[in-house]
Amino acid sequence: MSEHSFSPAWRAQPLGRRNFLRVSAASAATAALVATTGCGTDTPEPVKADPNLLVLPAGDPGLFYYAYTLALALFTTYDKIVASPPTDLTATEQAIISDMRHHQLAYRELIRYYIDPTVKMMLFPTSFAFNTTSFTLTTRAGALAAVQQLADLAAAAYPILLPLFSTASAYPRTLLVKALSVQARHAATIRDLRTPGSFADATVVDTATGLLRTKTPAEVTAELAPYFAPFVISVANLAVSV
Amino acid sequence: MKLLPFLDRLAAGSAAPASAPRRALLQQAGRTALAALPLALGAAQPVAARAKATAYDAIAQLLQLERLQMTYYARALAITGLIPAAQVAGFQRLYDHQLQHVAFLQSALQNTGAIVPAVPAFDFSGRKNVPTNPVLFPNVLSNYDDFLALAQQLEDLGARLYNTYAFINTADAQFAKVLLRMLAVEAEHSAHVRGLRRGRGVAVKTWPSTTDAPIVRPAAAQALTAAASSGEDNITQLAAVGVPIVFSSFLNVFSLSFVPDVALAEAFDEPVVPNTAPPSPQPNQQATAQAALNLFS
Repeated sequence: MSEHSFSPAWRAQPLGRRNFLRVSAASAATAALVATTGCGTDTPEPVKADPNLLVLPAGDPGLFYYAYTLALALFTTYDKIVASPPTDLTATEQAIISDMRHHQLAYRELIRYYIDPTVKMMLFPTSFAFNTTSFTLTTRAGALAAVQQLADLAAAAYPILLPLFSTASAYPRTLLVKALSVQARHAATIRDLRTPGSFADATVVDTATGLLRTKTPAEVTAELAPYFAPFVISVANLAVSV
Repeated sequence: MKLLPFLDRLAAGSAAPASAPRRALLQQAGRTALAALPLALGAAQPVAARAKATAYDAIAQLLQLERLQMTYYARALAITGLIPAAQVAGFQRLYDHQLQHVAFLQSALQNTGAIVPAVPAFDFSGRKNVPTNPVLFPNVLSNYDDFLALAQQLEDLGARLYNTYAFINTADAQFAKVLLRMLAVEAEHSAHVRGLRRGRGVAVKTWPSTTDAPIVRPAAAQALTAAASSGEDNITQLAAVGVPIVFSSFLNVFSLSFVPDVALAEAFDEPVVPNTAPPSPQPNQQATAQAALNLFS
């Protein structure tokens, strides 16, 4: 008789943590028996927390962490360009990206302040970082393409993000609205640098309504996922986008 | 729900809600969150008599602004040679977006049964259609640089006005989202116009900065300057009532996160009256914006 036919109800499939605990409590004797006899190598073990899985908390804290990942992505990329600018990036363009770097740094640290006013607490491990190696930051074309992708992403994210905050976050929300329009200015600026006249074009503004196209936290996180690997960010607990 | 049906119709490219049967509109109005706002009160009393701007006031004012911008670009595009050929497509896009925003705001009012204000007779010279009045905005429809300067002020005013009214109706996240999407488009417009001016040698960034060369206007036109750009040097932001955020405690060289004051001020676009505590808007913001709009009609 196989193990599966012996106890089909809870061995047929992997268990989530909650189910596992419930089953354990309900059949402690069975579990103890399995443990002591040492049989049943396919007995479900408690699922070890994946150290690379970063599950953002529910409520406003999760929204701040989500905003933090965006600011971190943009700042890291702009910082690398400013630190070693492509030789064909003009001085004017360097100055523009340097300004944008400062703005993103202000956002990143402001959001850390909202997460914890002492700017110390951080859910993410110290090794959590945005990896820019798949961008080509050594040429003007590659650098501007990366900046445009990220600036467009932030502009598309904020109109979805801000209405999700609770009224308890009225002050942070008021300040993040002020950042929203600057994020949009960044996007238009880089678009016009890269391709003059491409600001607010049909790729980023819905031509049927004249409204900026938006991206949900799930869409934004998916777009950033390759750059945060091996870490995986889950926004499943965040409020549902309207 | 709420404004979604309208947006869906727009997205589908079908007829505007104005063409929908009157009964359906009224039924919809009864359901919408906007209808729950004190629109009747807002429409009946003069603004000055009320302590707080209503959603009606906010939408009516945004509508006046969008109509002003739309009319400005329509007239400029109609004047051959004012806008260089290479830039015509860009200003056509600005016009198209403003036209769509006007349609949306008008429908937002109509769908709640509110009265849509009449279109003012805009006069971009600042003479209010009285030839003997002094010209406040010279050559804006004959000289490209002067045209661009006023366009920048109007787009900056747009970004600030949407910033002011973004959460006028906090109960309706869907409506807030639409306002934020329009805010972002206004900000992209402003950045574009500012970039065009920089390309013509004006010291101006694509975001409001203390390093921008000021746009000089006569004293009688200062209401526009005040509403569109005053206080953009603000580096004091609030953590709570009367409690400023001490940026220097975390934006400093010791934490390897130094941000100069110029960049810190740039990082945050301001509402019509900078650094106003929530809930926004406050009555002085509405009055400040209206004073600027009143210069043109």
